[in-house]
Amino acid sequence: MNPLDELRAEYRAELPAKLAHLRELLTKGQLKDLHRALHTLAGSAGTFGLPAVGEAAREAEACCEAGHAERLAALIDAIGAKAA
Amino acid sequence: MTVVKSPGGVVYAHSGSADVELTGARTALSPAEIELLVLIDGKTNVDELARRAAPLSEEAIKKALEKLVRAGYIVPAADVTSAGIDPGDFFSSAEQGVASLKKNGYFVCIAHAAAPRKIVKDEKLSLLVVEDDEQLAKLVRTYFKMEGFETRIAGSRAALEAALREAKPSVVLLDVMLPDADGLDLLAAMRRHPAVKEVPIVMMTAKSTRESVLQGIRRGANGYVTKPFNVDVLLKAVKSVLGVK
Repeated sequence: MNPLDELRAEYRAELPAKLAHLRELLTKGQLKDLHRALHTLAGSAGTFGLPAVGEAAREAEACCEAGHAERLAALIDAIGAKAA
Repeated sequence: MTVVKSPGGVVYAHSGSADVELTGARTALSPAEIELLVLIDGKTNVDELARRAAPLSEEAIKKALEKLVRAGYIVPAADVTSAGIDPGDFFSSAEQGVASLKKNGYFVCIAHAAAPRKIVKDEKLSLLVVEDDEQLAKLVRTYFKMEGFETRIAGSRAALEAALREAKPSVVLLDVMLPDADGLDLLAAMRRHPAVKEVPIVMMTAKSTRESVLQGIRRGANGYVTKPFNVDVLLKAVKSVLGVK
């Protein structure tokens, strides 16, 4: 496998852990860290060949920025659905 | 060409070629021309453009606008309405179009083309990737290594400072949002530092608003690429600011 494809596969394999981390941050109410994690995911997923995941993360990031915490759980689930 | 006056002055709009210029991997336009091209939105008049583009002089703005009109990048907004399109709706639709393009994997890429130069024998181009997302930094490093670059990674302001002290890179890819610093502040600091002020810098950011692009250009970035990006396009931008093929 080409080294870039290996990195893309590694990224996909780590998505469940990233999602678990997002949910944990939300549960703990650490919205600043959650915003940063969503921003990172939104910026990288498309480059790793997962534009739908990136777009869903961007939506959640915007929601987090606007302070609509009540919608975040559903939006994080939506990221998970795109990653599946 | 008829120039239509709005109450506060002339209003210009992009032609199709302006959008091609703003999303291409190379540009031959000057920083002032790029700045105006980014600011022009079909609604803002020249007086307001001048206010936003400060500290550009009135004369510089006039010259840049004339050149952009001559080159066909901008047209008076009346040319848009003459096609029966309301400018407000037109640009609102355009913004939606950009959002849709982004959704489908497109991105903004602006890079000033440096004077062409040849790589001398045994010269190795070196790239410093300033990015705190380890996986993304690793992907960029791997790709550029495959393309013959010596590549290092710095994930923070402290790591960037250490890397610059160690060796001056040929080019820097700089993330805007770092855990311990604002990339735009680092850009400004590098532009003030005598040892590294000439090093080309391409900003990488998930923010693609006009304002964020402008901030990068104003503070001296040679290029601006929005995330998510395609690594091939990133390479083209880097080669463009280095002046190599």
